Amino acid sequence: MSLTETEKKKGEKKDREPVRITGLPFFPHFLLREVVVMCFIAGSLILMASIYPAGLLKPADPFDTPTPIYPEWYFLYVFGFLKFWTWDIGPIDAKMIGVTLPMVLWYGLLFMVPFIDRNPSIDIRKRKVAVALGVIALLGILYFTYFSIVHH
Amino acid sequence: MSLLDNINEWIYSRFKIKDLLTSIVKHPAPDYAVTNPLYCLGGTAFLCFLILVGTGIFLAMYYKPTPLEAYKSVEHIMTVVPMGSLIRSIHHWAANMMIAAVMLHMMRIYFMGAYKKPRELNWVVGVTLLLITTTFGFSGYLLPWDQLAFWATKIGTGIAGSIPIMGQYISLLLVGGTDIGAETMTRFFAIHVMVLPLTTAILLVLHFAMVRIQGISGRL
Repeated sequence: MSLTETEKKKGEKKDREPVRITGLPFFPHFLLREVVVMCFIAGSLILMASIYPAGLLKPADPFDTPTPIYPEWYFLYVFGFLKFWTWDIGPIDAKMIGVTLPMVLWYGLLFMVPFIDRNPSIDIRKRKVAVALGVIALLGILYFTYFSIVHH
Repeated sequence: MSLLDNINEWIYSRFKIKDLLTSIVKHPAPDYAVTNPLYCLGGTAFLCFLILVGTGIFLAMYYKPTPLEAYKSVEHIMTVVPMGSLIRSIHHWAANMMIAAVMLHMMRIYFMGAYKKPRELNWVVGVTLLLITTTFGFSGYLLPWDQLAFWATKIGTGIAGSIPIMGQYISLLLVGGTDIGAETMTRFFAIHVMVLPLTTAILLVLHFAMVRIQGISGRL
């Protein structure tokens, strides 16, 4: 290995982020906080389960469509977007777009986030575009959730 | 030497577990991760997963995945089985809380930029876990076989079925026929209690191993 190559390697090593950060030991500090949080979560779950038990409606009947039918709250925005999008684009049917856009494009974008955002900074003041896009995405999801409830 | 020491010695001389434990116990966690409650969200989701596994095993012991028996067995759990109503309700609430926790956890990672180099792949595993968590919710929704379960599944599989090209295959794979019935039910049950928990467990091991190897991302 030539000298320049060795120097290059050394340089790379320096650039790399330090992996270990000095801090509080896992036990007992980190674990203690975890146990406190766990007790809080378990307590609230038991409380919610006791006050609002899981429901059970009438048995399923394929010949009787109930109204309204809501999906789980975390699917409402997909549902809302499907209702919101009523425009055909060329030969593509509006419904097709309404289904594909949130399910394929939105999740595709989510997966690609670290490969799209190449800005190395983790300082929120230097990530204005990423933060703005994140806020827009959040507001969009909230809006379509709202839309699905109102336009039922 | 007491009996406990003897047992300890016996195990240690064979497995050296203590050495492994020390590295886990003494492993430093960054102070901001210990003091800032936003760093609890991932752990909350994991705790919910553990609670769901526990309560889920209990429910699976009483539940019968056929259109004729499913509703009756859930009714039986709710009215006759000791603590059955509580356990099913905890399963219900833990499921909702898990999805909320996973979403909030993802938002924290996004706004803190914690997905950046070298943690790109951990973000991808995380989004996969979010997808799996919502699929968990979707597959579990059908199992009680009440009106809401049936019709929500009908709409859900209908939406999945209208995705171009692969939609009809996804629909056939899920429904197992032309309409929602016994085939759908056993499929959803198998997915809900076998496929998804196993996949989640494997991905969680990956997710945690990557956090351990790469450390927790720096403060804002």
